[in-house]
Amino acid sequence: MSPPVSPSVRTPLLLALVLALLIGLPPFLDLGLQNALVNVLIAGLFALAFNLLVGQAGLLSFGHAAYFGIGAFATLHLMRAVEDGLAFPTPLLPLAGAAAGLAVGAVAGFFATLRSGVYFALVTLAIAELFHSLAPHWEGLFGGEAGLSSMRMPWGGLIFGSTLEVYYLALGWVTLSVWLLWAYTRTPFGRLTLALRDNEQRVRFLGYDAHATKVIVFAISAMFSGVAGALQAISNETANYSLFSAHVSAGVVLNTFVGGSTVFFGPALGAAAFTLFDHLVSDLTRSWQLYQGLIFVLVMLFAPGGIGGIVQHHLRHRRQLDWSRLAGPYALAGLGGALVAAGMVFMIESLSVLFGEGYAVLRRDAGGGHPPFEAFGAQWDPAGPLTWGLPLALFLAGLFLIARARRDIAALWESVRSAPAGRPAGRGPEASARSAPSGSPS
Amino acid sequence: MKSLAAVAILSVGAALAVPAHADPLKIGIIESLSGAQTSTGRLFAAGVQYGVKDINAKGGFNGEPVEVVEYDNAGGSTGAADKFKQAVADGVNIVVQGASSAIAGQITEDVRKHNLRNPGKEIIFINVGAEAMALTGEKCHFYHFRYTTTAPMRVNALVKAMKAAGDLGTRVYSLNQNYSWGQDMQAAIEAAAPMGGYKVVGEVLHDVNKIQDFSPFVAKIKEANPDTVITGNWSNDLLLLMKATGDAGLKVRFGTAFLDQPGNIANAGETALGHYIANNYDNAAGDAAFAEDYKKVMGHYPLFVEPQTVFAMKSLQLALAKLDFHGGAIDTTKIALALEDTTYDSPVGPISVRKADHQTIRPVVVSKVVKDPKYPADGTDLGFAPVSVVPGAEAIYPVQSSCEMKRPS
Repeated sequence: MSPPVSPSVRTPLLLALVLALLIGLPPFLDLGLQNALVNVLIAGLFALAFNLLVGQAGLLSFGHAAYFGIGAFATLHLMRAVEDGLAFPTPLLPLAGAAAGLAVGAVAGFFATLRSGVYFALVTLAIAELFHSLAPHWEGLFGGEAGLSSMRMPWGGLIFGSTLEVYYLALGWVTLSVWLLWAYTRTPFGRLTLALRDNEQRVRFLGYDAHATKVIVFAISAMFSGVAGALQAISNETANYSLFSAHVSAGVVLNTFVGGSTVFFGPALGAAAFTLFDHLVSDLTRSWQLYQGLIFVLVMLFAPGGIGGIVQHHLRHRRQLDWSRLAGPYALAGLGGALVAAGMVFMIESLSVLFGEGYAVLRRDAGGGHPPFEAFGAQWDPAGPLTWGLPLALFLAGLFLIARARRDIAALWESVRSAPAGRPAGRGPEASARSAPSGSPS
Repeated sequence: MKSLAAVAILSVGAALAVPAHADPLKIGIIESLSGAQTSTGRLFAAGVQYGVKDINAKGGFNGEPVEVVEYDNAGGSTGAADKFKQAVADGVNIVVQGASSAIAGQITEDVRKHNLRNPGKEIIFINVGAEAMALTGEKCHFYHFRYTTTAPMRVNALVKAMKAAGDLGTRVYSLNQNYSWGQDMQAAIEAAAPMGGYKVVGEVLHDVNKIQDFSPFVAKIKEANPDTVITGNWSNDLLLLMKATGDAGLKVRFGTAFLDQPGNIANAGETALGHYIANNYDNAAGDAAFAEDYKKVMGHYPLFVEPQTVFAMKSLQLALAKLDFHGGAIDTTKIALALEDTTYDSPVGPISVRKADHQTIRPVVVSKVVKDPKYPADGTDLGFAPVSVVPGAEAIYPVQSSCEMKRPS
């Protein structure tokens, strides 16, 4: 990605505020949320490490689970050694994940980066699959399909037994890693990475070894993925071959693109949003993965720049935007979105009740008829006009509101865009259109 | 959905400021409730719901209804580790899980570590379906209880019953999935050879749920010319194997462990006729009262893994009946000790816990696929007819030497 247009004083201030919240808030949260935050940190770091490759070097890897998993297994081996008496400070355990990620990433990266585009993606996918099918059979290294497990050992007066201690350990490592990843983008080598994405041929003509550069970028990305894996190993105290599954690889792609791969912190935002979504919704409804998929599709269709893209777009134009005039249409669009979501959720949940086994029992007890079902604390008649009319009305009303708001928002943004000062210094007009917010035509 | 409603009701309840009340016993089901293994995960959850309904109908425990919380592990051990932490945060006393030994391995380790770190707040893990030997071997600990069979129990019962029926023959082929369960099965098939008077004429361990075409394996089986193929395969690996055998016109009898998985009989059709299964229970083997009551409450006859889950809950119910915390804090160690001393008379025979490794000593039912059975499967005219019920004392195997259980002092 490109660095912000004018790194104002506000960015560090904002970051300091976020960090202060991350440090100060967790002791007051319940155990479940503390654990969810550990997962947010891990997923965030993993997504940022992944984005070094996809967002900055333009290499879309479909097998990053391999380096995440390798980091986790390496750390577990070290943890087991510590359990057996090796004197190694517990807080430094992620170093094992970093080293293993770097080493395996360098080798895998050497082969994968021989090709680019779809072929690169396929090679990375194949490498991850290789680990996924090898691990359950390699008892010594990966512990069979049950995996390896260990226990965090006390060190320097810290027990590392509570979730909160794990959280702060993770926070420390994630902060350090993210800072390093950020610093990387400011180095000449970081600029070279961007150049590689934009025009590889030119990089070669300038006398750089494109392949070697790509291998290094790949290895660095794998190293930080390894740190994320290490943190997961420390948090869960086990790892098994399922860490290598396509599920994990797909998850990080999802997080990164929903968060926005063109903005440095975008992937972390996506990871945080999806991880918290999982935490809040996965035990409320069985259809949570369907909702997750819907969100992904909607973001890709209407805001390809992701959450980060929307935020960045607004920050960039914050001075030219007439916020008092935008507030109304934005609130209207928000309301419309909420109505559409409510209508969808109502329909999906009603259907899942009607096709569920609980309703089958009700039907049998009612002698094969269609008895009313219970949802959202009320009784609904499956054939009643209200049962289907209400969500449909919500859905349509929401769409109508969004369409109206969209017109107003588009007009307001148009005035910003035509103003001479509003020209964004991004990657040309295409990039700025791609990261346009959902309300504006692109 | 139901849980959404439950949340709504709970929040209304909280708003009304309920007066101080006793600690309810909380059971957390950590199962695959979304993704590929959902159908099996749902059955475990249904079994728990049925069992707890009865506990609550009879007054609950500790002056409160027993609460059941369902957690979706999304089919993976990482998800399970995460949900276990959530269960701890929610104050769950007993964790129940069954689908997948890998996930059970994760949960049992998590429970062990939690109990080490939180003395006085121990959590019990009731394993209702994970059959890997390691769970009662090197991973065994005091708070883990296995309420299902294991590979040697199934194979021993299968071999005994098939031999008695004259269907075993003298040449047995072992075909299994290449992971702990399949390896356990293969070891059990080898170990049972002298008792069954057969020779193992071939052994295969193959990838788990990845193979689309079993014809090369069928060709290998044909070459070895066995009378019986014993397999621990489940899901697609069993279905496709039987289909490939049928297509190749190979006349061989199967001894299986999971042929009763819903959908198998409907998919296999006539190919399944005459094949055997060794399992925890069969509707036609037990007294009909349980099957009928289950149907009344849940809408269908107990299926696949539901009965063993119900029996675990029934055992828990008996253990709880021996205890009274007078509305105070729940001492799970006392529940675990009571569970050890509980014998539940299931419809097919008594189920008790072996104290040395917390494996249950339980009967194994061997049945055969026949036409027009008492309880047809999957809406077909095929189903299972019990051949014999091997009593627990005969089916059990010695405690594994790798189990070093530390009992509470």
